[in-house]
Amino acid sequence: MGRESTQKPNYEILAFITTNKERALGGKPLMLLAKDAEDAKSLTVDIAKAMKADVVQMKSGDYLVLRV
Amino acid sequence: MKDGIISTDQIVLITTAIIVGTLARVLTIKEDYRQYPSYPNGYLIHVITGFVAAALGAVAIPALMTKNFVAVTFLTLAIQQFRDVRKTERDSLKDLENTEAAYRGDAYIDGIAKTFEARNYFALIVSFSTGLTIQLINSNLPWINVVGGVLAGFIVFYVLKRFSKGKTVGDIADIKEGRVEIRGSELFVDDIYVSNQLGTENARKLFQNEGIAIVIYPREEHFRITLDNYGQRQAMLFEATRSIGVKRYHFTRKDYEAGRVVITLVPIVRDINKLIETVKETPLLESAKKSHTVMKTYLAGRE
Repeated sequence: MGRESTQKPNYEILAFITTNKERALGGKPLMLLAKDAEDAKSLTVDIAKAMKADVVQMKSGDYLVLRV
Repeated sequence: MKDGIISTDQIVLITTAIIVGTLARVLTIKEDYRQYPSYPNGYLIHVITGFVAAALGAVAIPALMTKNFVAVTFLTLAIQQFRDVRKTERDSLKDLENTEAAYRGDAYIDGIAKTFEARNYFALIVSFSTGLTIQLINSNLPWINVVGGVLAGFIVFYVLKRFSKGKTVGDIADIKEGRVEIRGSELFVDDIYVSNQLGTENARKLFQNEGIAIVIYPREEHFRITLDNYGQRQAMLFEATRSIGVKRYHFTRKDYEAGRVVITLVPIVRDINKLIETVKETPLLESAKKSHTVMKTYLAGRE
């Protein structure tokens, strides 16, 4: 991204939802461990709706809730 | 005629020059296709500052004719006033940044503010030229003076307008509709990766059904320098979101290999032609524009 990444819009990661407890290591954003893929999807949508945020589904299947 | 009282000739000169100068400002407000400022108070503010600018230009000739050379220094006041217009406009637009769907961006705001400042100079120069022409003609028939002054004023106005008219994106690039494609949670337009923020089913469905996209192709390789400019892309995105509205999501992305630029969004009004036309009409920002000819390098050195 180069210089663009330093400019607006600023992204803020609000939550990280995973089904793999090996990846739930903690950090600044809220980190949730879901039971299964369906549970992860449902948690993600609920948080995104409440926070008016966007969702990124990573290749691993984990979800990232972020706000621009 | 009593000493110290302004003569009828001078009243005619000043009045004509003020009217023509103010008219020049009024015409430049209405000319803009984006109709900015499109609110009555905005019009009033700019017409009044245009009137003040025209008044300053109009009284310069009578001041000189009465050998009141010191009085001409009030033109410095005009410069200060116009700078304040630029500053006010910039502050006002920056305050509005958080209320828009997309940011205008600092480069675009700077360009708009400069244009507002420059258009006050229009009023000043046009009224000054009108006054000067009336003084030079100096006929016994007042209407000949007025007609001559008005004509000269409008010629100067036309020349200034031509001079200050910038180019638009449509002058340097071709714009075509892009094909929106969703692969997993990733969004592609004409096989150019745009974003992976479509993580939910709803988002994918919404973009697949309602999303539209355009791809901007630079006509020459060196036009990429202008189109790749972050401020320029932000300005295009802003104009796009402003003209057709945004229901959800708006993205801009550049393709490094071919220099294509993508703008895609889920609009309120699904009108691709309007989107293409709007982006074509987006002005090329002065801060982003580069003169290709002066950047030519001479391997053997200049003579």
